[in-house]
Amino acid sequence: MENTSQDIRQLNEKIHQASAFVDLLNMELGKVIVGQRYMVERLLIGLLAQGHVLLEGVPGLAKTLSIKSLSSAINARFSRIQFTPDLLPADVIGTMIYNQQRNEFVVRRGPIFANFILADEINRAPAKVQSALLEAMQEKQVTIGDSTFKLEEPFLVLATQNPIEQEGTYTLPEAQVDRFMLKVVIGYPTKEEERHIIRQNLNPGGMAPINPVIQPSDIVEARKLVREVYMDEKIERYILDIVFATRHPEEYKLQKLKPLISYGGSPRASISLAWAAKSYAFMKRRGYVIPEDVRSICFDVMRHRVGLTYEAEAENVTSENILSEILNAVEVP
Amino acid sequence: MRKRTIVKSIFLIVLLGYVLCPFRSFAQNNIDVRAQADTDRLRIGEQLKLELSATVDVNRLKEAGLQLAFPSLPDSFAHWEVVDRSKVDTSGSAREQLFRQVITLTSFDSGHWEIPSLKFELQAAAGAVDSAFTAPIGIDVDNVAVDTTKAFKPIKGVRTVAISLWESILDFLREYWPFIVTGLVLIGLIIGWFIYMRKRPAKAPAPPPVPLEAPFDKAVRQLKELAAEKVWQQGNVKEYYTRLTDVLRSYFEEQFGIAALEQTSAELLQNIKPVTILNQQREKLRNLLSLADLAKFAKLQPTPEEHEDSLQKALEIVEWTKPAAKPAETEQPAADSKS
Repeated sequence: MENTSQDIRQLNEKIHQASAFVDLLNMELGKVIVGQRYMVERLLIGLLAQGHVLLEGVPGLAKTLSIKSLSSAINARFSRIQFTPDLLPADVIGTMIYNQQRNEFVVRRGPIFANFILADEINRAPAKVQSALLEAMQEKQVTIGDSTFKLEEPFLVLATQNPIEQEGTYTLPEAQVDRFMLKVVIGYPTKEEERHIIRQNLNPGGMAPINPVIQPSDIVEARKLVREVYMDEKIERYILDIVFATRHPEEYKLQKLKPLISYGGSPRASISLAWAAKSYAFMKRRGYVIPEDVRSICFDVMRHRVGLTYEAEAENVTSENILSEILNAVEVP
Repeated sequence: MRKRTIVKSIFLIVLLGYVLCPFRSFAQNNIDVRAQADTDRLRIGEQLKLELSATVDVNRLKEAGLQLAFPSLPDSFAHWEVVDRSKVDTSGSAREQLFRQVITLTSFDSGHWEIPSLKFELQAAAGAVDSAFTAPIGIDVDNVAVDTTKAFKPIKGVRTVAISLWESILDFLREYWPFIVTGLVLIGLIIGWFIYMRKRPAKAPAPPPVPLEAPFDKAVRQLKELAAEKVWQQGNVKEYYTRLTDVLRSYFEEQFGIAALEQTSAELLQNIKPVTILNQQREKLRNLLSLADLAKFAKLQPTPEEHEDSLQKALEIVEWTKPAAKPAETEQPAADSKS
């Protein structure tokens, strides 16, 4: 059914009201997280767009604190899994254990049964464990023994990768990385922000507690509204132009990028970009998507979906450089 | 009886030998070979000419199917070195011919040395059948007499040979003629090219460039065309605002070098800040772009007044940012001279 002008106006108003919780969440999280607004915003986009987030940044940038605080603010269950080389799939999803009293095997659920999962240093675990987690992320259900368990909504996995240490790690294959909707690269806070962080941590009273401001059910409702956000066909074409430019740059007068790209974005990239743009529009309290929404989220959706050739690596060209070139070449509707 | 048998056998053997060796008598009777040196005394390192000759009855040689082979001397033999060998020369009448070869020899050993007897061979198809030998020749090879009672003398300097200028030129030309000819050809080609370039007909003057439409004029024209086409009146609101903003974005790109077509509304409003004249119209542009975005992406249906107002705003922005006309260059000096 096609939206009319009236429908969109109503939707806009509805979303304007429904998205008010975003400000509440930001305020509540701001009590303990100094700076890192970009990361928090991306976490919310992932949460609203039903996508998982891969975080890349050096240790000590409040990754765990952010997701833990977000979980508390939403009154959701949180669990953290530290990925190590000796981790087994059962350590993540759970296993059957023998109960002597009842003389039967019972299911022992793993830490994946939570709303928010922090998979810390995901590239430290072997491929078998990674794929167990990624399968659960994709299917949103887990099979232990003969029983299949649906994971509770909302379900968000925040995986971290340490970009410094590469020794003894199992790099995520491209197909697995593609399952993350966003790959967010976080940097250090500014000097002023870090001064606040020091003060906050040395405060005699300790950190302010995070109070729940919304319930998980509100997120589930918000997700339904995100799905309704209006996306004009011009925006759809703009998204497709960006994704296709990563596959066939020569068709967008970007011949120079051709030898630098080994593979472009998959159809999942187009879907993720559309979803993320809708979520971003929702967070900006709009009922429709504008090109700014696409551009704002484009780097985080696409950076891990553009494969670089050896030539690009030799010339120190990053996927961000390629995406910048594409965004500067593709006409905005 | 026995004695008669022995005599008979000897006779048969002699007869058989005579029959089977006809060439021996041929060689002995019909070849006259000689070796003759041009001197019998030479100093060490000097050369002598050794003439080898053979006089042959050609008709008989042909009848017997034989060929004459001259001695084959190695390059070096018994104190002698072969310096040169001439070809075998032939002279004489049709019946009797003289074959002659001159061999240049030298020796670096002092003493009395003999040129050994040399073998001429008569050869059939199966191989040599007979031979004739020259007489050996004795030669004295003397050392250079050195007066040891006298002191050593210095090495003599390089002896200059008087060569005339003309000879020098000829020597030079003989040695370097390919380069001289190539150089002359190249110089000729270059001179020819210069002459051709100077004498060729002048190119027709390029037609005057077609004056391009100024960005301002183009934008105004396109906005007026948009108004004339009555796009929003026909219900194409989205197209109306798309074209309206595209005209403005193209104008900014061409007039101010801002890549407006590849920028979102927010980016454009940010990027016009350094352009003062454009930044003065910032609020007007923001209102226009916001309304256009709503019409394009949110199916907003602005009122007719808003449509007209948007077009008016676009025209005002373009008019405001119109580049100042340059004063005519010919009039300026005239005005200056009057003052």
